[in-house]
Amino acid sequence: MTFGNPWMLLGALGALIPLLVHLFDRRRPRPHPFGPLAFVLRSQKRTASRLKLKRLLLYALRTLILLAIPLALARPEFRSDAAAAQVVKGPAATAIILDASLSMRWSDGTSLFERGRDEARDALKDLLPEEPATVLVCTQSPAAPPPPGFDRGRLRGLVDEAKPTYGAADLSRCMDMAARALEENPMPGKRLVVVSDMTAGAFRLEAPPPTMKGPTGAPVKPEVVLRDAASGRDVLNNHAIVDLKVEPALQAGPRSFQFTFTVRNFGAEAVKDLEATVRVGEQTLAKGFVDVPAGGTTQKALTVRFPQGGTVVGQVSLAPDALAEDDKRAFVLPVPRALKALVVNGAPHATRYRDEAFFVDAALTAPGSPVEVATRDAEVGLREDFSTYDLVLLLNVAAPGADDAKRLADFVENGGGLFISMGDRVNTEEYNERLSGVLPRPLRLVRTSAEREDPEADTKTARLAKVSVEHVLFSPFTGRAEEGLIGARFFKYMLLEADNPRSPGASQVLATYEDGAPAVAVMRKGKGRVALFTSTVDRDWSDFAIRTSFLPLMQRFAAYLTGSLEEREEIRVRVGEGATLRPEGTQKVSAVRAPDGSEVPVKEQPDGSLVAGPVTEPGAYSVLGADGKLMPALSFAASLDPSESDLSRVPQDTLTAYFGEDTVKASSGDTDKPAVPLWTWLILAACLAFFFEGTLLRK
Amino acid sequence: MLLDAQTLARLRGVKLRARAVMEGVLSGLHKSPHQGQSVEFAEHKEYAPGDELRHLDWKAYGKFDKYYVKRFEHETNLRAVMVVDASASMGYRSGALSKLDVANTLAGALCYLLVRQQDAAGLALMTGGKWRDVPPRASAGHLNVLLDTLESTQPNGATDLGSAADHLVEVLPRRSTVIVLSDLLDENQDALKRILALRQRKNDVSVFHLVDPAELTFPFDDPTLFLDMEGEGRIEVNPREIKESYLEEFNAFLASTKAACAEADVDYELVRTDEKLDDVLLRYLARRGRRA
Repeated sequence: MTFGNPWMLLGALGALIPLLVHLFDRRRPRPHPFGPLAFVLRSQKRTASRLKLKRLLLYALRTLILLAIPLALARPEFRSDAAAAQVVKGPAATAIILDASLSMRWSDGTSLFERGRDEARDALKDLLPEEPATVLVCTQSPAAPPPPGFDRGRLRGLVDEAKPTYGAADLSRCMDMAARALEENPMPGKRLVVVSDMTAGAFRLEAPPPTMKGPTGAPVKPEVVLRDAASGRDVLNNHAIVDLKVEPALQAGPRSFQFTFTVRNFGAEAVKDLEATVRVGEQTLAKGFVDVPAGGTTQKALTVRFPQGGTVVGQVSLAPDALAEDDKRAFVLPVPRALKALVVNGAPHATRYRDEAFFVDAALTAPGSPVEVATRDAEVGLREDFSTYDLVLLLNVAAPGADDAKRLADFVENGGGLFISMGDRVNTEEYNERLSGVLPRPLRLVRTSAEREDPEADTKTARLAKVSVEHVLFSPFTGRAEEGLIGARFFKYMLLEADNPRSPGASQVLATYEDGAPAVAVMRKGKGRVALFTSTVDRDWSDFAIRTSFLPLMQRFAAYLTGSLEEREEIRVRVGEGATLRPEGTQKVSAVRAPDGSEVPVKEQPDGSLVAGPVTEPGAYSVLGADGKLMPALSFAASLDPSESDLSRVPQDTLTAYFGEDTVKASSGDTDKPAVPLWTWLILAACLAFFFEGTLLRK
Repeated sequence: MLLDAQTLARLRGVKLRARAVMEGVLSGLHKSPHQGQSVEFAEHKEYAPGDELRHLDWKAYGKFDKYYVKRFEHETNLRAVMVVDASASMGYRSGALSKLDVANTLAGALCYLLVRQQDAAGLALMTGGKWRDVPPRASAGHLNVLLDTLESTQPNGATDLGSAADHLVEVLPRRSTVIVLSDLLDENQDALKRILALRQRKNDVSVFHLVDPAELTFPFDDPTLFLDMEGEGRIEVNPREIKESYLEEFNAFLASTKAACAEADVDYELVRTDEKLDDVLLRYLARRGRRA
């Protein structure tokens, strides 16, 4: 406790007056002969106990009056010693830095940001009239504060208009910016008032504390006042979704996905039976419960089967806590639609497993596959109306006739998918001649790496050597899944020309054998796609068909060639970052809209891609085409920075040590300044005592 | 002429005060409730054997040729005794007159009235625990004796209404008028009852209860050492603290006294020492007149 006028405390000695009067008052009462003395005696007896209490009360009230008045005049204040030091230090140019990071949205009825804003207002009120000031709202990308000035109204307006963001805020950087703003001010004293929840993510304690140029040019430390918006709370409990993986769950159906939540509990208490849901719109598609130990992480998987294909925008969420923003995460999910495939079997066989289409048919119709397969022999199949299918697979077909080849080319041009695999029946010359428009690369000749009967076939057979796992077709085949690809043995395969002379550079080789010969080549043609597999899809030229990777790869071929496989890389965007969009072909993006409907700035990049953002809030972002229609393939979801969910607080001692004990001047706004000055309470107490004393005297 | 206490106080001696008060009372005569040998004609009655012949109205016989006997309503041979309490507490005064001054004045004025209408007036003065009696007589010369006795009285001793009652029983014949002038501040709770018991002996009893204004209002502010006027008692109090309680007690005493008098069929007159005494007497006589 400190006193503005400490010498006034001497007046408190006046509180002894009632006691001294009681002890030393020896006034002789006036004697008065009185007839009805008996009545006086009786009255005195009747009122004796009441009078004793009354006298005691009067004594206490008079002492209180005489004590409270000099105490009030001494202007007492409850402040920490550090705060007291701040007061006597003298005027200083002041920058108030208000933390507007996501963690400030933590709320127990009143958000930390609201409290912080009150603290900032109090800090403005506490300024001396001669102290210039400025305000910096510290966001992920803070704007430089205005030079310090005396327009308190404008500064209050800045504080009033400030809003919490969804991103992280680097207070160390903001303090540096504020220090620069104060540097130019001629006032020798400099002060940084930091209003924050003091969470671990707010400061970069490994960086040096802020300094500024002193009068001699040497760096000096500014005075730092810490106002804790979460004062009184040792721990800010919070749990959050820190990661979300969405993977196809083919075992559950063609349009089934497994949502794997990673839930982290940043609090000090275990969380039990935390509800986790997957929602699309208002509909809850899956629900589960998860237990998370204190400070621990738990994963929870929920499987969702979508009724139909298309791009699905939804949200996974946990039961909300004090920081509800990190308890949900939006997703944009391309769900495969039902596909119709025509398998043209170039080498049918009575024995099923020796049939050319046996393995392909089995792969495409496996449980969970969205593909509906129609298998025809070459003669019938090539006469089919291709436009009724999404995908045509030519499996070891000798060569389509000229008309059929043209229909196939038209089919691809109009958006159909064409898969071509090789075999003994393939006539390379006719292929090159009739299908030159759709073949990724012309066929050359068949190369035999080993004969089946060769005892050294195991070592001689070709294997896949290089696979473009970065391409969407092969993207799942990483890690152990890759073994299913590179373990396949190829006895024979078709060699291809180096490039397509009709469309140079249009084709792309996604997998090669050990000798560098292409194993898989793909090409876009018009609106459609073509894939060429240079070996067989039965066991004639390779054993790939019986490898574990065959089934998923064929399903991905089907999805890729029909455009239902998300080809673009998953756009992982965090709040504060920009989203890179790569529209296909002639697609034009007219606008990108945030979850709240506002438009997000879009910048075109030299490589033709677009960067939308930086995005400022989490949720699903919609991308609109030139015609104003939604482009589902480009829509994306933005998530929060998980580090902002960690609300563990930096101990006061640590901050004091970091900024230097001689510069940190205050801790909490709750303790350094009483809501009502103490002296007013003392005056009020004296007035009340005066009133009661008068009332007692009148009785 | 109504005289207030200040004016009366300027008149020296009981004689002057009593006379002044008496003159202020315009009509104080009252009829005797007893038929006696006075001379005022009341009615005629037809003669019957046994009637005194000297009361025969001969003029009426001349007119009506019948014998009529005169009947008279004669003034009473009233014997009134003023019982004046001259204890020390009667000497208390907060204004111009003490309670004893007022008692003496009232007693003197009443004596004037009584003797003027040829009633017998006497005195029983209690002072210093002793009695001074002046037997009732109706002669004009007796009045001076009464007034001198009153004038020479000084307040002294304790109030003892009980012994006053005993004394009166001894000295008074039945059917006397007893007028008690006292502050009734007797420590003995039954003393008043014994005074009132005189009424049961066919006496006509009146009580003038004398009260000083300070006793009624307790107007003290500063801490005061109250001394007992009839004993050694003393108490130091802050009057403001006990005023409320004192007034409750004293008013209850007045109320209980008045109620006891009413119950005993005794005239009760509360007299403040700052009152106009002719007013007091007029009020008293008026009430007596209504009762007669």
